[in-house]
Amino acid sequence: MRDNPSETHFGFRQVPLEDKQGLVDDVFHRVARRYDLMNDVMSGGLHRAWKDILVNAVNPPRSNHPFHLLDVAGGTGDIALRVIAAGGPGTRATVVDPNGDMLGVGRDRAARLGYEATIAFTEGNAEALPFAEKSFDAYSIAFGIRNVPRIEAALAEAFRVLKIGGRFLCLEFSAVDVPGLDRIYDLYSFNVIPAIGRLVADDAEAYRYLVESIRRFPKPKIFAQMIAAAGFRRVTSQPISGGIVALHSGWRL
Amino acid sequence: MAATSDESPAASVDPKLLEILVCPLTKTRLEYDAAKQELISRAAKLAYPIRDGIPIMLPEEARRID
Repeated sequence: MRDNPSETHFGFRQVPLEDKQGLVDDVFHRVARRYDLMNDVMSGGLHRAWKDILVNAVNPPRSNHPFHLLDVAGGTGDIALRVIAAGGPGTRATVVDPNGDMLGVGRDRAARLGYEATIAFTEGNAEALPFAEKSFDAYSIAFGIRNVPRIEAALAEAFRVLKIGGRFLCLEFSAVDVPGLDRIYDLYSFNVIPAIGRLVADDAEAYRYLVESIRRFPKPKIFAQMIAAAGFRRVTSQPISGGIVALHSGWRL
Repeated sequence: MAATSDESPAASVDPKLLEILVCPLTKTRLEYDAAKQELISRAAKLAYPIRDGIPIMLPEEARRID
């Protein structure tokens, strides 16, 4: 389906590659303020359990041993704050996101919780990270990689900024493979989620994009091959909640 | 020493962050201009702005310099 190398998908639409970032930015500008609330409503609170699984995999040390997480596309600070809370006094997080509105939400939240000294916020792009090589002990991206126009470039950058022994972790919507659940999930995602988006965030179209982008994301096996091609070893994909989401992992060894 | 509400929120950028920040285009080190609140990439001839303590490391948001 992807014959034109200068085009990429935006939901189910084909768009010029250079337009996708702008279109994605527009979606997140529109939903930034209610983003975490929408995640709660749409997933019935399940996203909290999914994020706990990610945080457990990040496994920050409880001691004062230094540990630095890079959370990519995590503008609202949700993952970073959970990792800081789970880790010891040596745990720090840097958040990078291309969207200033999402970062503003995260910065204000970190300040309210007294975490200014342990979380740094940076506006930047997953495909061209503004960090020196081998800077981080772990890299996380939760529900963000499918919005990246060039996934291979983002994976190469993840590999570059991780220290040797560092871990790449990606939580993303996946392919439901439980008979029966797949039908219900289709009905839910194409009908219920845009309706909730209209009610809660007054923006059905933005949420329709989110649903379509989930369907266009590479299947777990293909994505695992892409992670390995970026240089990561011991690559695994763990389906969660019947495959609604998956946790993808790889190590820089 | 927690920041009080009467202090400017336009805090300077986290010094630990400055240690690892590089130009996203050239991956070279940056010069920090505290007065202008900019991060300068001599290699890319770009000055990246810092707004409210958040470095904006996007080339399309940067100022061209000579």
